[in-house]
Amino acid sequence: MALDQLIDGTSEISCDVLVLGGGTAGPMAALKAKQKNPKSKVILLEKANVKRSGAISMGMDGLNNAVIPGHATPEQYVREITIANDGIVDQKPVLKYAERCYSVIEELDRFGIKFQKTENGDFAVKKVHHLGAYVLPMPNGDTVKKALYRQLKRAQLLISNRYMATRLLKGSDGRIAGAIAVNTRTGQFLIIRAKAIILCMGAAGRLGLPASGYLFGTYENAANSGDGYAMAYHAGAKLANLECFQINPLIKDYNGPACAYVAGPFGAYTANNEGNRFIDCDYWSGQMMLEFYTELQSGKGPVFLKLNHLHDSTISEIEDILHKVERPSRGKFHEQRGTDYRAEMIEMHISEIGFCSGHSASGVFVDEFARTTVEGLYAAGDMASVPHSYMLGAFTNGMIAGEHAVEYAAGVSLADIDAEEVTRECERVLAPTKRERGIPPNQIEYKTRRLVNDYLQPPKVPRKYQLAQQRFAEVREDLEQGMLARNAHELLRALEASSILDCADMAAAASLFRTESRWGLYHLRTDYTDRNDADWFCHTLVGKTDGRMTVEKREVQPYVVPIADDEKDLYYRQRTRQADDVAATRIAT
Amino acid sequence: MTADLFEDDVDLAALAEDLQSDDPQRRRVSVLALSDSGDPEASKLLLSVVRDPDPGVRRQVALGLGTFGGPGDAEGLVALLRDADPGVSQAAAEGLCEIKDADAAPVLVAGLTDASPFVRASLLRGLKELRSALALGPALQALQDEDTEVRIQAVGVIGYLKREDAVPALQAAARDPDPHVRRTAISALGFSRLAGGVATLVRGLADNAWSVREAAAEALGYTKVEGFDPAPLVAALDDAFWQVRLKAVRSLAQLGVREAAPHIARNLDHPEPNLRKEAANGLGHLAHPDTRDILNQAATDPDADVRKNARWALSRLGAA
Amino acid sequence: MKVYDRMPLATSYTIVPVEVDDAKCIADKGCTVCVDVCPLDVLRISEITQKAYMAYDECWYCMPCQTDCPTDAVTVNIPYLLK
Repeated sequence: MALDQLIDGTSEISCDVLVLGGGTAGPMAALKAKQKNPKSKVILLEKANVKRSGAISMGMDGLNNAVIPGHATPEQYVREITIANDGIVDQKPVLKYAERCYSVIEELDRFGIKFQKTENGDFAVKKVHHLGAYVLPMPNGDTVKKALYRQLKRAQLLISNRYMATRLLKGSDGRIAGAIAVNTRTGQFLIIRAKAIILCMGAAGRLGLPASGYLFGTYENAANSGDGYAMAYHAGAKLANLECFQINPLIKDYNGPACAYVAGPFGAYTANNEGNRFIDCDYWSGQMMLEFYTELQSGKGPVFLKLNHLHDSTISEIEDILHKVERPSRGKFHEQRGTDYRAEMIEMHISEIGFCSGHSASGVFVDEFARTTVEGLYAAGDMASVPHSYMLGAFTNGMIAGEHAVEYAAGVSLADIDAEEVTRECERVLAPTKRERGIPPNQIEYKTRRLVNDYLQPPKVPRKYQLAQQRFAEVREDLEQGMLARNAHELLRALEASSILDCADMAAAASLFRTESRWGLYHLRTDYTDRNDADWFCHTLVGKTDGRMTVEKREVQPYVVPIADDEKDLYYRQRTRQADDVAATRIAT
Repeated sequence: MTADLFEDDVDLAALAEDLQSDDPQRRRVSVLALSDSGDPEASKLLLSVVRDPDPGVRRQVALGLGTFGGPGDAEGLVALLRDADPGVSQAAAEGLCEIKDADAAPVLVAGLTDASPFVRASLLRGLKELRSALALGPALQALQDEDTEVRIQAVGVIGYLKREDAVPALQAAARDPDPHVRRTAISALGFSRLAGGVATLVRGLADNAWSVREAAAEALGYTKVEGFDPAPLVAALDDAFWQVRLKAVRSLAQLGVREAAPHIARNLDHPEPNLRKEAANGLGHLAHPDTRDILNQAATDPDADVRKNARWALSRLGAA
Repeated sequence: MKVYDRMPLATSYTIVPVEVDDAKCIADKGCTVCVDVCPLDVLRISEITQKAYMAYDECWYCMPCQTDCPTDAVTVNIPYLLK
């Protein structure tokens, strides 16, 4: 039998709660839904295998945003997140996260996930930011997925691996009705009717193209190709602030996280070529990335991670964490190049662009119950709009989504599904397999992502964005009419290429809509260089209306945690002081 | 049709048969499948092969136990901890740390008389997380162990229990010949409100190992003892190691020792920017008017974090 | 008919980062650990040798295949383009 040969076939099942994506938020959502209502039928569907899928496939070296009593308060956290996002935050979901995340940490601890503790067994929270202390290292964080998987097994959850969801189905009343999925090894279809669906499909991390030219050498897990963003869009859910890109600091060429957060509490830091720190803002934000980018472009670049001033034993401790947890191939990368943390600084760079609320704010719009704008549809984790939520946010918001969804499901019946819609979708999915010749999915993908780099990478130039939209339309025609998939695996890549193209189009539309600059580098426009609170103190929502992409404004919800004027002022003053540097950069680029 | 849509319910009978196979690789594959099943019955099957002749099979059992929960996991892991093969015993030791079930404590305590220091240390490490009062007596005894790692883990068990009646034992451990034991004991004393405990921390500031001095300087920041004399902490601001000075600055700021401000300010000239940053931050907390000039200088430091903290400190001075 | 419907397909060679030691691999005994844990689903069991191999050059070098392999048969190398 040929490799991954396509097989005809369709199965249909139904459930109360369907969780799409088995990375971080998904398993927690499924677990909590099942725990809250043990009689409910909960299905966890995953494109890869739940054992090792998602952003934390290999592990995670720490929590960046742990709100632990005695170290930080929920209100303080909400203030910092609000300020770091230039005020464009619906605070309720952030506050709810902040109030509930500690119980999640305690639960993860009971799962056997190891957090750094003091010699008195208390969580050893580290202060990295100027104001609150939120960092909790996980020196043995390579066990996260294993511990999570064990819990799923103990709860005897229904797990379906190697099924990629392609589209959501809605009933005639507009409620969510189910999803269509395709097996990534056989191409067989699975139609799942569900009363509630939780999208936990991760970031759009395969959007920009790493400079190595290696399609899968992304910062994010390359499996996170933005499928959830695309599915939510086609189902008519609104997506918030997609122009607030994710761009991350990273180790140059390796293209993986630099983990300054991990090394920071030990005394390591990000330095310019003079060995001095240059980042002035407190919380990880677009402003921080702008400062990073500015330094990279200046005569003081490149930027380095500096550890060589630390004591030998301290460096060993850092290496132990960085080379074992999260991205262990990093140790191999340094070894191959002969990089010694004791002797030299490590060159850093910034990542390709993507969508990821885990680090920025771009995601499917959700409220404090993780509800999207489609009834019965929820979203959590890197693809939902709760900003800066990181891994702990995925767990916590996954929990919130699971609990609410199972309760909602108990009060409704299954919505009807439209057989014609199902047929149409199956034809769309299989179209690339019906051709004799055509364009390989990886070339469609490369071209899309190369255009993303050429035209969408900030600073954002409107004329470039318009060119990008024209070229994306050409690629879309090729994708729809000429892409060829010869087996089930290539079909998986073909479907991912389609998600990537949808995300590229959304990134362009949202960026052109917001005619101001905001969030530092994430949305830095060359034609509207300043922030304009009078016209743009609002969310932007991308949606699909009558088959067309639309963008609209949405008001920011009234704050539940007021931001004092002097807090705002402190932050704005920092901005002003740097305006000269930034202006200089703009001229240089 | 839908049977193969989900991770299968495993065929335990077939896997049990595979466990009896002559082929160790087949047995190992069976152990893998049993571990993934999460079925409590599978747990019993795994326990039946902890004495398998093949170390690869035994290691796989060690990795798989812990999936199921309950004291069975602990019993199996303790047995595997004693395995002659280091790959097996190491995996069992890791597994023990992931057990959070308090019912496992008696199983672990019972093993502490083992002749192998590795076994004793691993059991203590596992016990630490369980925070079981059952472990206190054996841990106090283990402070006399000839093996350093065992003593470190014993201090850990006692530290996690946070009991004032164990403070004298931690004080004794703070005089241990090994610096790692001393450091652990000093850090474990951080919770104590007793004068004796604090006196031990002060002595720690004069330890010949810098890591012990650093731990002492840090722990003193949390002391709640009335009438604590900060002079030794102030003296630590001149320590040969910047890491120790940094913790001394932080602790003095936390304790609100305003008279230390001019001494802290001297560290704003130190070549290590981490220390300058901490000093500027500490001066902000203490808001001593005599430090205004030097903070003004620090506001032009080449390091952005130092500048930022100096600006904040100056704003605090302005407000005072 | 568009031009790409006429253009012939080619196979070009590449070097892949995941290396499997056939002598250690026990896929022939029913083990599928590395294939299961790969988030990008690029590993397969060869129908010819019955051993695991990297079927698609789409690696994120995340390493669960190496870490979880019960017999230490798998090595993940840094791909040349990144080196």
